[in-house]
Amino acid sequence: MKNYLVRRLLALVPVALGVATLTFAIIHLVPGDPVVAMLGENAAPVDIVGMRRQLGLDRPLLEQYAAYLGGLAVGDLGESISYRKPVSRLIAERFPATIELAAAGMLVAVLLAFPLGIIAGSNPGGAGDLGAMGFAIVGISIPHIYLGPLLMILFSLDLRWLPLTGRGGLAHLVLPALTLGTALAAILARMLRQSLIRVRESDYMRTALSKGLSARSALVRHGLKNALTSVVTIIGLQMGALLSGTLITEIIFSWPGIGRLLISAIGARDYPVIEGCVLAFAITYVIVNMATDLLYAIVDPRVRIS
Amino acid sequence: MRQTITTARLRLVAQIGAALVALAGCGHYRTDRSPATIQVDIETSPTSTDPRFATDAISSRINELIFDSLVKTDRNGQFVGHLAERIERPSPTRIVFHLKHGVRFSDGRELTARDVIFTYDSILAPESMSAKRAGIEELKSIDAPDSYTVVMTTALPYAPALEMATEGIVPAGTPLPAKGTAAAPIGSGPFQMVGYARDEAARLERNPYYPYPSGAPRSILFKIVPDPTVRALELAEGVCDFSGNNIEYDVLPWFAGHQFLKVSKTPGTTYKYLSFNFRDPRLRDLRVRRAIAYAIDRNTIVNTILRGAGRVASGMLSPENWAYEGNVTTYTYDPAKARQLLEEAGYTADRSGLRGLRFEYKTTPEGARLGEVFQAMLQRVGIELTLRTLDFATYYADIQAGSFDLTSLQWVGINDPNSYYMVFDSHKTPPHGENRGYYSNPAMDRLVEAGMRTVDPEARKAIYAQVQQLAAEELPYVSLWWVDNVAVMNRRLVGFDAYPNGSFRSLATVTLSPLGSEPPD
Amino acid sequence: MIARVRNPSLAIGVTTVVAIVVAAILGPLLFRADPLSIDLAKTLAGPSPAHPFGCDALGRDVLARVLSGARLSLSISTVVVAISLVVGSLIGGVAAMSGGRIDNLMMRGVDIILAFPGILLAIALAAILGPGLIDLVIALTAMGWTGYARIVRGEVLALRERDYVLAAESLGASRSRVLMRHLLPGVVGPLAVNATFGIGGIIGAEAALSFLGLGALPPTPSWGNMLDAGRAFLLVAPHLTTAPGLAIGLSILGFNLLGDGIAQKVGHRA
Repeated sequence: MKNYLVRRLLALVPVALGVATLTFAIIHLVPGDPVVAMLGENAAPVDIVGMRRQLGLDRPLLEQYAAYLGGLAVGDLGESISYRKPVSRLIAERFPATIELAAAGMLVAVLLAFPLGIIAGSNPGGAGDLGAMGFAIVGISIPHIYLGPLLMILFSLDLRWLPLTGRGGLAHLVLPALTLGTALAAILARMLRQSLIRVRESDYMRTALSKGLSARSALVRHGLKNALTSVVTIIGLQMGALLSGTLITEIIFSWPGIGRLLISAIGARDYPVIEGCVLAFAITYVIVNMATDLLYAIVDPRVRIS
Repeated sequence: MRQTITTARLRLVAQIGAALVALAGCGHYRTDRSPATIQVDIETSPTSTDPRFATDAISSRINELIFDSLVKTDRNGQFVGHLAERIERPSPTRIVFHLKHGVRFSDGRELTARDVIFTYDSILAPESMSAKRAGIEELKSIDAPDSYTVVMTTALPYAPALEMATEGIVPAGTPLPAKGTAAAPIGSGPFQMVGYARDEAARLERNPYYPYPSGAPRSILFKIVPDPTVRALELAEGVCDFSGNNIEYDVLPWFAGHQFLKVSKTPGTTYKYLSFNFRDPRLRDLRVRRAIAYAIDRNTIVNTILRGAGRVASGMLSPENWAYEGNVTTYTYDPAKARQLLEEAGYTADRSGLRGLRFEYKTTPEGARLGEVFQAMLQRVGIELTLRTLDFATYYADIQAGSFDLTSLQWVGINDPNSYYMVFDSHKTPPHGENRGYYSNPAMDRLVEAGMRTVDPEARKAIYAQVQQLAAEELPYVSLWWVDNVAVMNRRLVGFDAYPNGSFRSLATVTLSPLGSEPPD
Repeated sequence: MIARVRNPSLAIGVTTVVAIVVAAILGPLLFRADPLSIDLAKTLAGPSPAHPFGCDALGRDVLARVLSGARLSLSISTVVVAISLVVGSLIGGVAAMSGGRIDNLMMRGVDIILAFPGILLAIALAAILGPGLIDLVIALTAMGWTGYARIVRGEVLALRERDYVLAAESLGASRSRVLMRHLLPGVVGPLAVNATFGIGGIIGAEAALSFLGLGALPPTPSWGNMLDAGRAFLLVAPHLTTAPGLAIGLSILGFNLLGDGIAQKVGHRA
């Protein structure tokens, strides 16, 4: 087990390096002068030179790259141009909000998926199945940018049950989490349904029935147990969609997380912050993937050996 | 067994349902404020809590509640003494202010001439780099012969001298703000700032040393709410008590259904205009500028997008201003004339009607809608406008630096016509002044400089009549409209006085009727 | 009744997609309102016989803009998916054929691109390249080609070891020619499924980028920027949100169902 862990951790390094390099390339290899883009074409030459020096853009590219990697190693992501604060501090301040939203989205997805999947899978072809799966296919197809406002219109403007935007107590979390988690819920529900159907037609069922267990409880118990690993797999596979969905959801609901920071940094042409946020998202994703793999390895020993 | 599963599932559903109902039941997401607090929703963070630096409307309006100045303007735009109880003008180049006794900063110290001197000196110091410096550059010296007397001396006669006396006073020794820190200076005004979190809220509480009318608010929470829909909802929910000039016009009719809300619409002096960059040779051609002026249907915009909450403007000074001259060249909507002018200027139309004239129009997200209207109207006469949307801070910084082709902006709180000097004199380009378009016209220079030096009001008025006509002829700006002052407030705020410049000043003296017992209409 | 239709996903999917394509192509010809012409007297007008979906904040007909947006979404997504298909297949094929270090390197590259969750890479590229349609296509392609590369690479690798390939090689046939001949049938199915889902996904991604201000700029109507513009008027004009929102939802739904249907037909999910 320890070997596997070490191997996975080592594999993390080249990917992280690659991600950092690609981010650097995108920001720094862009055509045109970012300083002119920031200060405007009519800026005084002395301001342009000053800003270029401040951003370290007057040094040769390789030196910039080395400085960038060096900074990353110690957690220094540079300073934000619009906030005049270290980028790492800005990101650290907003990280909890993003994690809160992403976690809530996952929770909602699971809470929605189980009843839906069970209804669908325990009676395939029936009305419940059709309804649940219809709901699921719609859930996958509605984009966040529509689902969010739709929920806002219904629950906030018409019914006045929930707050419209912003982060606050539990009530503020409901609509964003619903918006974020619905697509994942739909995918999970479909998977649960498949799992239950498979169990239905399998040997388990026959054995369980012969043992005198009710069809329903055996079905659900075994189906769900099988499904558990698949749930982890799917959440792992959908993590990317969930993270980038968090970004969009933050904009829709004015949620003060890293996604919102990234988009306002784009509007303010604050390149150090843009770079930092992109990195934060990517590295988070890489770590989460690794964590999922490790979780898998704990659950399924066969993975470790391969 | 069959029972178990069904019951278990039912129980789960019931639990979720109960949780939802509980959440709904506490649909009171209103913050619980004490009745003596009012909440004001503002659309963006103030850029500065130091009155020596803040030039944008929101910062200025908030700072007005915290800091006092030697004089203030009343609702008719006349100067009245505030910190100064008596003002003398012994000569055209000297003003003497006699300060009130017993005015205290919120930390208890008395405000004396020393603080006034310090404030002005710190603005004038070159290292301050304050945008306000341009406004008081004429000050040759400011002295305090004794603790309660301040003498301002200018090198030359300076007619708008009293405008210089509207700076908020900070205590002697207040350091210059380092960028990024938000330690707010102390003021002597009705309120003090006790907390400020950028992009969240600014909290003001009573200055314990300021006379407090009974029934007036004890504290004000300025909450930053960028989303206009949320501002409207907060008003409707009773969470927000006051919202000034930041409610979408289209939403105003919606408030009619809420009995406890009041919409106040009064003529305003806020002047909305289209600004040109004169460093672009195409825009230096008067025919192009006139074509743009004829191409914009301002009347329709005021009636539809503004829902009538404005008046088509002929110039920077609104009719309420003492120096207003209404008899100037105006430009009624005439696209045919616009096209003709562009043809004359040498821009012929191709088959699609476009003339190869392309400009970039910078705007904020809130201003994008108006930008699209201009885009469509200009396209009809053959000019292509590309829109560039930036967040407010970036946008404002760009405009202040003169980095734009076309943009539209507004001047809030125009009072003395000497503003013409600040915005049109050729020496007043950034960073020395507000001539962000780099407009340069010797005739205009002569007039506005004369207007500055002429102390006799009648002679001054005549000069500015010429200035207004010249501005209307030469179009350094295309005048759009004077924006009405639109405020939506909870009826529990009694006695709110609307100032034409959108000032929040009256919030210090409104009476709060108790929550829940709003007076009937 | 549903049970009797063998492949309901395929049926509904094809119908929906065809309907959308027809609406996009024929719509602007049959419904003559100009998506760009403003009429300030009609700002925020609700649905009426003259304007079935109402008018937006500048009085422009919403139905006309939705149809125009359909053209934009469909053309951008098909172009992006087509380019991604070609680029991805080439890279995947070359990687599998070269094997060894080159394969390794290329697949590391794929891994790094995949390390950017969802549309993050597209957002970063669009932010740096600036708004505009060509930059949008570049940004969207950059994030989309990896799936196809993996499929093609997988097929080629599997084929390489097949007996008939080895046999043909030993008889003197060029390996690549044999592979090409036998590659297509194996790869068409998964690629078709992926591409179909891909079009749906790119429709969503383009809408998201335009929503964030990184894609199609005003006055060009795009479902995404229409949704963004509608946000300020949720209170008084929800129809501004419903029309483009339903359009996006239905389009993605159609392509998802179509993809499902094709997957059922070719026997496995990609």
